[in-house]
Amino acid sequence: MSTATITYDDRTVRRFMTASIFWGIVGMLVGVLAATQLSWWQMNGKFLEAITFGLVKSEGLSYITFGRIRPLHTNAVIFAFVGNMVFAGVYYSTQRLCKVRLASDWLSKIHFWGWQLIIVGAAITLPAGLTRGKEYAELIWPLNIAVVVIWVIFGVNFFWTLAKRNEPSLYVSLWFYIATIVTIALLYVVNHLSIPTSLIHSYPIFGGVQDGLVQWWYGHNAVAFFLTTPILGIMYYFVPKAVDRPVYSYRLSIIHFWALVFIYIWAGPHHLLNTSLPRWLQTLGMLFSLMLWAPSWAGMLNGLLTLRGAWDKLRTDPIIKFFAVAVTFYGMSTFEGPLLSIRSVNALSHYTDWTIGHVHSGALGWNGFMAAGMFYWLAPRLWSTKLWSTAMANMHFWVGLVGILLYVSAMWVAGITQGLMLSETNPGGATLKYEFVETLQTIHIPYMLRSFGGGLYLLGFILCAVNIFMTARTGSATDATVEVKLLQKEKKDRMTLSEAFGSDPVIYAVLGIVFMILWFFLPPHADKAALIVAVILCIKGISVFRQSSKTWAEYFNRLLENYLPFTILIFGAAAIGGVVQIIPSLLVNRAVNVEDRLQLPYTPLELAGRDIYVAEGCYNCHSQMIRTLVPDVLRYGPAKDQGYSRLGESIYDHPYQWGSKRTGPDLAREGGALAAGAKSMRIGRRDNLWHFNHFLDPRQTSPGSNMPPYPWLFEAKADLKSLPKRIAVQSTLGVPWPAMTKDEIEQSARDQAVEISQALVKAGAYLPDRPDLEGENLRRYLSETQVVALIAYVQKIGTYQLVETPPAEVPPLNPDAYRKPVNR
Amino acid sequence: MSADPETPRAEYASKKGEVVLRSHEYDGIQEYDQMLPNWWLFIFLGSLAFFVGYWVLYYNFGFFHDDQEVITRKIAQIEEVKAKELDEMLAKLTDDALINQWATDDTVVAAGKEIFLSNCIACHGQDLSAKIDIGNGQSVSLPGLPLTDGVWKYGSKPMDIFKLINEGTPANSTGHNGAKMEAWGQKMPPLQIAQLTAFLIRENPKDFAK
Repeated sequence: MSTATITYDDRTVRRFMTASIFWGIVGMLVGVLAATQLSWWQMNGKFLEAITFGLVKSEGLSYITFGRIRPLHTNAVIFAFVGNMVFAGVYYSTQRLCKVRLASDWLSKIHFWGWQLIIVGAAITLPAGLTRGKEYAELIWPLNIAVVVIWVIFGVNFFWTLAKRNEPSLYVSLWFYIATIVTIALLYVVNHLSIPTSLIHSYPIFGGVQDGLVQWWYGHNAVAFFLTTPILGIMYYFVPKAVDRPVYSYRLSIIHFWALVFIYIWAGPHHLLNTSLPRWLQTLGMLFSLMLWAPSWAGMLNGLLTLRGAWDKLRTDPIIKFFAVAVTFYGMSTFEGPLLSIRSVNALSHYTDWTIGHVHSGALGWNGFMAAGMFYWLAPRLWSTKLWSTAMANMHFWVGLVGILLYVSAMWVAGITQGLMLSETNPGGATLKYEFVETLQTIHIPYMLRSFGGGLYLLGFILCAVNIFMTARTGSATDATVEVKLLQKEKKDRMTLSEAFGSDPVIYAVLGIVFMILWFFLPPHADKAALIVAVILCIKGISVFRQSSKTWAEYFNRLLENYLPFTILIFGAAAIGGVVQIIPSLLVNRAVNVEDRLQLPYTPLELAGRDIYVAEGCYNCHSQMIRTLVPDVLRYGPAKDQGYSRLGESIYDHPYQWGSKRTGPDLAREGGALAAGAKSMRIGRRDNLWHFNHFLDPRQTSPGSNMPPYPWLFEAKADLKSLPKRIAVQSTLGVPWPAMTKDEIEQSARDQAVEISQALVKAGAYLPDRPDLEGENLRRYLSETQVVALIAYVQKIGTYQLVETPPAEVPPLNPDAYRKPVNR
Repeated sequence: MSADPETPRAEYASKKGEVVLRSHEYDGIQEYDQMLPNWWLFIFLGSLAFFVGYWVLYYNFGFFHDDQEVITRKIAQIEEVKAKELDEMLAKLTDDALINQWATDDTVVAAGKEIFLSNCIACHGQDLSAKIDIGNGQSVSLPGLPLTDGVWKYGSKPMDIFKLINEGTPANSTGHNGAKMEAWGQKMPPLQIAQLTAFLIRENPKDFAK
């Protein structure tokens, strides 16, 4: 057996780690700013007047309004902070677990610099209001393509390293890394499918409920496969290393790995519970979320119980502290997740800060503390020295921990309080007790505590940055060199595909899943038969396993020595859930899937306004979805012709705008009928002048509101020139636009803008910044502004025409259609 | 790795309570194998059973109702309660009662004022003038009608005002510059609308002679 001396590529690890700390601080700083904006609207730009002693004059600065920087915050912490941290951890551990240097220095370099360029691109485009309008998928299409290219480069670099490995078998960490790489690629590509209308704008190819379903299949699994699986892989490498103890249980690793990879994907619809999403999808979303509890806790057990032999170090070693608390937070948030996925709990928690608290206990506790522990463990090794200050790392730990606890408990209080208040009725139960804004004012103090907690957490990471920087300065960058035994080619990757997929475990798993899916979709009675077959297959599988557990174990050991079939099986397990949930909704004809109402198509000006609504990130605070719940209907759709939101009411919306958080009220019923005698002007729940005043100064119309003012909408001109292209793309996507020439489109938009401006001027609209304008001049000025387009859109939201109940013909692949529960 | 040297070596544990150390090491990382804790298995298998049970109860036994049906029924019940509350209130209210009893009761008027301040000032202004002062002696129009100018466009009797607030601007009216008031009866109980009416009467003593 020959040996060789190899040097690991630790420079790439150092780079990613440094980038993670840098972007982490940037992302958290933006997060703290966004948090203070919810307490004090002045933080949206007015505060600049105070800190520059009046040099800057601004009621609100577009680049830093909440709607634009909340996406910047989420993208920065997910893809820049955790992303870079994951790349550092993956590259460090993979080289050592494979006993080989990273496959290509060039790919590593392109990966690093490419990823940083994408982040810079995001940091420029998002504040500029360039967005796709879908959460955690906001980046514009050229950046999407860059992300895919860089991700593929990462994948190639990783799998090439696996192929060159000098260690026959793949360790648990690598399983999780493989799952991350293949699943994120799938999720990212599907959810970003779009048709460009220009270099900086595109419409997603899915609309309405389909877009919502795809979005949360992606959104939930970004959490699963970007914030969970790679971190679990990192846990399996760095925790045993840090405590110098064996992993608690190998079989627990196997079971929770496969269970997580298979089950996670199905849970996406729990973000759309009680909405107009078809019930069978809601049911699957809830039930699979509940089934995630145990597999997630198995990961926590393997982490915590590996630490068990080393509790004595907990007092002295900050790294162990970070890991122990991180894994504990993982356990806590994976218990909270299934809890929030129960439809009745979700009825209260959804759209409130409880969800925000939940994701932050995962992000700050699990991701952030795993990152910190890993950084403190890596730094002395990467710069071959001691950690500069253990005391400072301990300080980071305590400051950070207090920060998380303040943050999370403030969000529990805020979320539950607001959820309860929103559903509290007057005596008699026929009307609601509180106005929306009253509930917002009640949670003012938790909101301040949240900013404070977030600030403490940020302070902790600044301490971390200083500590790592000083460690790097006192040491010198070192790439580890080791002697490895070279592995002959015939010792790995020899399994044929038929051997890999023709084995008993795979056959039983595939058959069991196939019959489970048939059970979902087959008509009455046939479904029961399928269920029985699935159960029998399960029992049979278990008995075969008991008899020949040795063969099964040997098969799995062999599989671990063959990365390609192993990867294919992982991909298959992760893909099934998405296929089963998404394909049926894509097949259902739009005309069938509308319930009894069909959205009225937008006019050109309304579309221009809608694009402004999306660009300003209004969906970050306003939903457009009245759930099938009494408090929702009473608050947002009490009239007979309003009620809960139907599927058809947003069927032409690209992207859909159902939203996920209500910092302001729902807007699904803001729109209304054509005004008397008007050609295209609508007046909905509120008057045009109300909206005009509201965008200028939200507190004038809604005292106590925390919405930022939007002065720039009164200066910038609406983009009518690009409308023909946008409308052409929408037509391609199946939105029923009437045939119009370019001139007709522009003329229509102008006519409607003039009509609205005229009404505004007549009603007494006044622009404080332009006191010189009045009468005809003001009308002419206003008709070109963005605010008039936006008002046109808001007055259109939720308008519909009644349609005949769709034909009785049963739509394909719809478990609800042919077996609606018996009404008793 | 500091595994207990006594730990037996094997690939897999074979019974509960047994702990074995696997022979293979990955970059110095060792793994134990041991059976899954019972409580964990209980949660896992329990959630699988719940999955099957819930689906079967929902789809095969009709144990639950579908959401649209439930919400439609609940809202219909609430509509009935609302209609009854309104009938009871209308039975009590007269023009005379509103002027001489409701509007003379300070607690009623104070309650009405509070409702006005939290719901109505966006359109009718804090001082009921439907204008807002923006400094420098400038004032800006609000969408609503002024409520202190002695003009009651949709009827000047107290019951007309109650009805207007309850039902909103009549459907056949063009509104004020196109603006129409929403039907507050959908959101407020009749009691609050009566209190609001009493507040408006108190604010306009000349228009509503005793």
